[in-house]
This record gives sequence, C-alpha cells and structure tokens, in this order.
Amino acid sequence: MSERLENYLEEISHYLGTGKEKQEILTEIKSHIMEKAEREFGEVTESTLERVIDAYGSPRQVAEKYMEDYPIIAPTFRSHLLRYTMILFAFHLGLIILSFFSKTSMAVLPFFYIPRIESFQALFYLPMAFVYDLGLVGIILYFVTQSRKDVRLPWPKLKLNWPKIIESRKTKSKTIPLIFMLLGYAALVWIYLRFGTIFFKTIDFQRTQSLLTPAASKWYSSALLGLVGIAIAAYVIKFFTSSEWVNLLRSACQLVILGIVINRPIENPFVEFIHLDLQILANIIIAIVAIWIAIDFLKSLIILGRRVLIKERRHR
Amino acid sequence: METDISPFETEMNRGFLQVLVLVLLEKNVYGYAMVKQMEEKGYALEENTLYPLLRRLEKKGLIKGEWDISKDRPRKFYLITKEGRDIRAQLLRIWQTQNNILNHLLKENQNV
Repeated sequence: MSERLENYLEEISHYLGTGKEKQEILTEIKSHIMEKAEREFGEVTESTLERVIDAYGSPRQVAEKYMEDYPIIAPTFRSHLLRYTMILFAFHLGLIILSFFSKTSMAVLPFFYIPRIESFQALFYLPMAFVYDLGLVGIILYFVTQSRKDVRLPWPKLKLNWPKIIESRKTKSKTIPLIFMLLGYAALVWIYLRFGTIFFKTIDFQRTQSLLTPAASKWYSSALLGLVGIAIAAYVIKFFTSSEWVNLLRSACQLVILGIVINRPIENPFVEFIHLDLQILANIIIAIVAIWIAIDFLKSLIILGRRVLIKERRHR
Repeated sequence: METDISPFETEMNRGFLQVLVLVLLEKNVYGYAMVKQMEEKGYALEENTLYPLLRRLEKKGLIKGEWDISKDRPRKFYLITKEGRDIRAQLLRIWQTQNNILNHLLKENQNV
C-alpha cells in the first residue's frame, strides 16, 4: 500500500480511538480512495492518491464526522461544566483561605486535600485546584453523558445579574480619581519614608508614636503599600484596556501579598499592651479583605470562563 | 460583504442527504458509485460525509450493508431495508408538507 495512504489511514485511525468498527471504517475509506484514484486519474500512484486524499479531507475532520453522535460531554451539559466548576472552585478557594488562617491542612474526603501551604506555593496551587475541579466535574459529566440516560442535573440559580456585573467592570478608568489615588499613595509613601510606619497610635504628627514595633511596622506597611500599589497600577492599565485579565491579575497578586502576610506573622507586633485586643481585630480585617479579594478573583474567573463559553457557542 | 452560505447549506443538506440516500438505495449500491451517480445529476455529494451517514443509517437498521470481496478491491454495498422504506415514506411526506408550506408562504409574500 502507498506510504501516503498508509499514513493517512493511520492518522484517521488514531483519531477514531478504539471503537470496534474502526477497521471496517478504514477499509471502506481505503477502498473509496483507491477506486477514485483509478477511475478518475487512470492509475493508482503516489501522486494520484495524494490528490484524492487531499480532496477527501483532513484526518481529524474525517474522523470527527464518524464521532458526531458520540460527544464526550453532551452539548447540553457544557454550561453545567463551567457553572459546577465555578461553584466547586469557590468552595475550594474558601477552604484554601481557611487553611491559611488556621495554618493547618484540610481534607474533605474523598475529593479535597489542602496541605498547609505558604503563599508562594498557593500561587501555583490555585490554578492546579481549578484544573482539578474542572477535571472532576468533567469526569462526572462524561459518565452522565455516556450513560445516555435522560438525567436532569440541578441548575443552581445564583441570582446574579452577570451582564450587569460584566458591564460594570468594563468601565474605563478616570483621570480625577486617579490623581487623588496617586496623591494619596504618594502621601502614604512619604509618611512611611519619614516615620518608618503608616500605623500610628496617635495622629499627632508632632509627637508621632508608632502602633507597631519597627520590624512589624516595616513588614505590615510594605504589605499595605504593595496592596494599594497593585490596585493603582491596575487602575492605570485600565486606561488602555478593559480586559478582565487585568482584574484577575490584580486580585491574584493581592492574594499572594495577603498570603505572605498571613503566613509570616510577626511575634508581638504591638509596641505596648493595649486593652483592646488589636491582634484579633487586625486578623478580622485581614480576613475580610482576603475574602473580598478572593470573591473578586472568582468573579474575574467566571467572567473569563463565560467569555470562552460564549465564543465556543458562536463558533458552533 | 457577502454572507458565507456554506454553514447554512451544510445545515440544510443534513436532512436532505438522509432522504437522498434512502431514495438512492432502492438499488444495491456502494459509496463511490453513489457519489458518481449524484455527480451526474449535478449534486456534489461530499464523500467524507456520505460514509459516516451510511454507517448511522445502517446502525438504525434503515439500510443494510454487505461486503463484496469477489473483486480485486473489497466494496461495501448498501440496500434499503423494510424499516428504511417506512421511514423514507414518512420523511417524504414531511418534506412534501414543508415544501407546500414554503410555497404557500412565498406566494403570500409575493402578494404583499
């Protein structure tokens, strides 16, 4: 048999997978190609076969036509794939944040195990968790599809007006708020450079008294400046683009900074004993900010996911 | 810019091709011969679409395929079954009705 034809059939065979009818399909295609080459060009040669094969279509395209009736995941479940993954990932993310705060590993058997991780590890762990959730939902939907039963999957209504949310996030940055932000940020940086902290016990600049020890001042002031700096940088970038990737990247970077702060606390950060347990208050504030940013991060992921889904639908 | 007709044509051909094959297979024919037969009648039958369709119809029991290995090259011949004839008759009735509706609506449009 011609090498070209052999390669062509082998490639189709590869795309067809392991179905029991595979050999018969290939024999039929081979017979058709040989006959067409002979009848239309008078002889079966490498070059005539080449022409017939080119007209027959690419191996992938040919194989796909045999598999139209056997989707891996039913088209009706594609929206479920994204929504279920997002719900699962939200749960997963919640556990990761909880694991940060409690500084312990967590397990929800048999599906989740979140080891006690440092913030930098979390940067790699988050995408991995997302892929895991996507895979888990994908496997379940695969089995539901293959069972060919009329299964009605629950469709949780989140009661969120996504078009409105997406539109609100598309708004371009404005100059006046940016000027105020930059001025405020410059003032914060100046205060930090001048006094070595941005956390004061009193607001009397004549007799400044830091709330935190020098080491804690440096650590927490830098973190706060980092968080605000990232937010301003994202705001500046949004002058040029309304891409959701900017929001996603901003939230991811801020989560990393918060992760570092949470994972490397400074022992006895306050200069003196204060009746109000400031440590608890500080932890609550950090937790609220972390959850807020995490929700924003999730929103960006959902918006980007929805965009992929809509694009896919348009192409179909 | 002119709209590309091909995706609409593919969609339209899907149903048509099914009926066409059921009509063609009143006689014992193999794939390549079907393509040529239709080519002579001025219809370009896509070969890579025809074979998967034949396989689907065979699985549903509407046509029956049999390999002929007596010649130098094996060929699979197809023939319509009794079930296939029943389905074909129903499909042709549907097609007739759809055709009538379309003609009726087009006539109405002309009078507007």
